[in-house]
Amino acid sequence: MAANLSSMRHVRGFDVVKPLSITVMIAVMLPLILLPLASIFIFGTNKGLASFWSALSAPEAIFALKLSMVTSFWATVFNVIFGLFAAYVLSKYSFWGRNAVIVTISLPTAIPTAVAGFALLLLWGPYGTLGRLLDPQGIHLMFTAWAIILANIFVTFPLAFGVIKPVFDTMSLSLEEASATMGASRWQTFWHVTLPSLRGAIVSGALLTFARAVGEFGSTILVSGNLASRTQTAPLYIFAKFNEGQVEAANAIAIVLALFSFVIFSILFFARDWLEAD
Amino acid sequence: MGNRSWKRPFWFVALLSVLLTSCLPSSPGDAKGGQTITLYGFSIMKDALEKDIFPAFKAKWKAEHGQDVEFVSSFAGSETVTNQILQGAPAQIAILSIDRDAQRLKEGGATASDWHSLPNHGIVNKTPFVILVRKGNPKAIKDFSDLGNSGIKVIHPDPVSSGGAQWSILAIYGSELKKSENETGKPDPTRALQTLRAIWKNVISTPGSAREARTQFETGYGDALITYELEGLMMKGSSADIEMVVPKSTIFSEHPAVIIDRNLSATERPAVEAFLNFLWSDEAQKAFVKNHFRSVTNESFNNANKEFAKIDQPFTVEMFGGWEKAFPDVIDKVFMKQVLNH
Repeated sequence: MAANLSSMRHVRGFDVVKPLSITVMIAVMLPLILLPLASIFIFGTNKGLASFWSALSAPEAIFALKLSMVTSFWATVFNVIFGLFAAYVLSKYSFWGRNAVIVTISLPTAIPTAVAGFALLLLWGPYGTLGRLLDPQGIHLMFTAWAIILANIFVTFPLAFGVIKPVFDTMSLSLEEASATMGASRWQTFWHVTLPSLRGAIVSGALLTFARAVGEFGSTILVSGNLASRTQTAPLYIFAKFNEGQVEAANAIAIVLALFSFVIFSILFFARDWLEAD
Repeated sequence: MGNRSWKRPFWFVALLSVLLTSCLPSSPGDAKGGQTITLYGFSIMKDALEKDIFPAFKAKWKAEHGQDVEFVSSFAGSETVTNQILQGAPAQIAILSIDRDAQRLKEGGATASDWHSLPNHGIVNKTPFVILVRKGNPKAIKDFSDLGNSGIKVIHPDPVSSGGAQWSILAIYGSELKKSENETGKPDPTRALQTLRAIWKNVISTPGSAREARTQFETGYGDALITYELEGLMMKGSSADIEMVVPKSTIFSEHPAVIIDRNLSATERPAVEAFLNFLWSDEAQKAFVKNHFRSVTNESFNNANKEFAKIDQPFTVEMFGGWEKAFPDVIDKVFMKQVLNH
């Protein structure tokens, strides 16, 4: 019946559903996503480009952006390598408690990020379960860049894994088996056969993790100490400036982060095609 | 072949990681051969410290000791700052909104020193609590009790995270006690409770700190905001469309400074202690007045600032018997138990 209807429309030469559905889609996106983003750009630049630029070139702002990039980068490196490893183990072997591990890896998605930060403090803080033992040795993790990396790892833990695991699951075993029969070692098979077919998933997993880590706020504000030019990441800087009433300065950095995500997701979009076509 | 194209992104990532690690941010706050003082403060201290007090102390220390001092700082609601320090944040000195937070730092083992033995019982400056309204005072608000009228939207910081919010509660409650005492000869706690309840019904938002509350108010939210006088004077200075309403009777908030002994080594102590004492110097007290705080050491400094409001019936936390009593008796027993969970 439905098929009949749509073919009838094509016969008439004009599918009214197409422009209508596109309009509805844009109309829904407008107040929910597009206009809020647009207002960041409007408020960030309404005092002129000069004040936008001076807000961006403030040493504290530059530091905050750099710190965000570096901490997110290392969290991404860790989570991609671990996600790859965990996906390999979990799709290759079945063992008692396997499903429990899968669920646990996915948990950070549902945990409020403030809880993640608090959990890290309870463990690694100077009065935490482990931190208490490390503190006398002069090892301080919380309120340093390490704390930010740990928080980023926690909240982005499931992302790379989530992208890589389904590819592993659907990967044809015949290639790996063929490789093994041809006398390749387990490592050679992994490096030359398994890994290349995963590169699309690895790149998207990495970009997704990185983008999410750069925007992380809730856990970072608890564990970093929020010291300007020390442990203040870009989202914390935005929050601090907004609280001080310096809305333009906050918006300038917000624009950078918004553009940044735009670039990341554009890369994600095109890189996937490029890598998978290769 | 397929193998080579796989190696391309690999080298790209390797290159990127080298690039990123090479630009690991180094803090511009690190003084070369000098010392860094880490200060955590409650929200409204930021401007006075960063604009005047820090630079003045840096110059003084350099002149006296030939050594550079740098400051790194973080500002949030007083209760938030206190919790951060209790969790291990690396503060060496804290300036808090309420004495109770200094007390909590002591109980938590963060500070061992007795700040009450410092000049002025450890209080570095003070400011009265006022009401900010929209220009022309369209809702005709003249005193705290008017904020309980129907249809008034009040912004009030959150007493859980903000010291200013607790001062504000004491200001409302105490002003009703004080006025009723002056009118009838006896303070009337029932009237004070009713006023507090009526106002709290009109609160539409509880931001985390006084400064956050001000930003919300500035962005056009709400009819009235209860806050530190200095916030009102600063907003006037930035020619915002607001007016300040001075209640007939209100509290003077008093802000203590505490050394966080736990995060202080013997070599760092002299500069931090010198900075602490500097806060009561004439130079620093005048700088506070310039930034709309009131001096605690010399009332004649306060006369220099013509913008300071005249308060008809002022009082301090001493009216409740100090913070040791004000917190359990008013914030906890009256506000938490009879207003918030009413």
